[in-house]
Amino acid sequence: MAEIPSNLRAILVRIGVLALGLAGIVGAALLHRFAGLGLGVTLGVEYVSVTCVVWGLNGFLFRSTPLRGLLLLVFSAAAFGVLFLVAYFLAKVVGPFVVNSAGQLVGLVHLVDLIFYAFAVMTIAGAAGCAFSRNIIYSAWSLLFAFMGVAGLYVFLGADFPAVAQVLIYVGGILVLILFAIMLTKQIGGDPKLTNAHLALPVGAALAAATVATLTYMAVMAPWKLSPTRSWEPVSAGLGIAFLTDFLLPFEVASVVLLAALIGAVIIARKEIKETSDSVLQR
Amino acid sequence: MTTIGLPHFLIVGGALFALGMVTVVTRRNAVGILMGVELILNAANVNFIAFNHFVEGPGKLSGQVFAIFVIVLAAAEAAIGLAIVLAIYQTFRTIDVQETDSLRQ
Repeated sequence: MAEIPSNLRAILVRIGVLALGLAGIVGAALLHRFAGLGLGVTLGVEYVSVTCVVWGLNGFLFRSTPLRGLLLLVFSAAAFGVLFLVAYFLAKVVGPFVVNSAGQLVGLVHLVDLIFYAFAVMTIAGAAGCAFSRNIIYSAWSLLFAFMGVAGLYVFLGADFPAVAQVLIYVGGILVLILFAIMLTKQIGGDPKLTNAHLALPVGAALAAATVATLTYMAVMAPWKLSPTRSWEPVSAGLGIAFLTDFLLPFEVASVVLLAALIGAVIIARKEIKETSDSVLQR
Repeated sequence: MTTIGLPHFLIVGGALFALGMVTVVTRRNAVGILMGVELILNAANVNFIAFNHFVEGPGKLSGQVFAIFVIVLAAAEAAIGLAIVLAIYQTFRTIDVQETDSLRQ
């Protein structure tokens, strides 16, 4: 029998413990659910399994800080707590809501609903691409999908004028401006892929998950005071009347703000052009 | 009748907000941070218009008026912000926000 190298053996041991821990987590949960295993025993087994998983994963992640003894116990207790909260949240909040929605959906799947979900997925996928893409140009393009998806959602809510304004201003104006800025800052040198490469994904994903969980909980659980459903009719005339009666002062202030922003942007950008021409002349 | 209600739109708005916040927090490119701000403003707009549709009642449009104002201010913010980014780029030759931590050259 061939000699097994010691580092290979260590890796195999880690993988074995990792698999054992995962099997323990799933197995204890299944036994608790279907075979009536006691709650205390289940929690104990889960904790031991999580400890196994943490120790096994430590062979591959964060190898510079090996977890031993008390540190391992504390770390796996923290991981166990987080997992427990997530599982509790899934079981008590998301599960009933999903089951409820699914039950409502089974009988009556509407084309309208499918279109809504298509727009929602388009929006969130575009935003996720913007948040997690390494290349800033890809981020800008996925922002396009997010903006278009939001415009579709506005149409769903009977807001035709904001939808058109969204397409005109965001997609036609702001996105082009952003692409301009990317191209201008990329042109002379400099890295368009500037981002926190090693930090972005785990920290960002954790932050997004926590925020989405909180906001979803609030959106589902809060007792919103809903009004009777409204008919689908054009809103442009109503918006125009609102702008010129109830919101006249904000409307005028907004026009002044736009003028000031225009002049300010021109002044800031003009200084920049002058400096470049100077520096070009000096060379 | 459709089964899409207020929570669906609020969840989409919440996801947009979370992803925009992640963009703002993790990007080091100043233009990327501005893109995250645009996502956050869009999330607020989705919520405004959803509440206008489901809560405010027929014939009332103040949620949509707010959304229009937000869009207007977003346009102004994008113009000013990107002009500032270009000025920073001209001064520091980089738009990495971790290296541009002083207001002078």
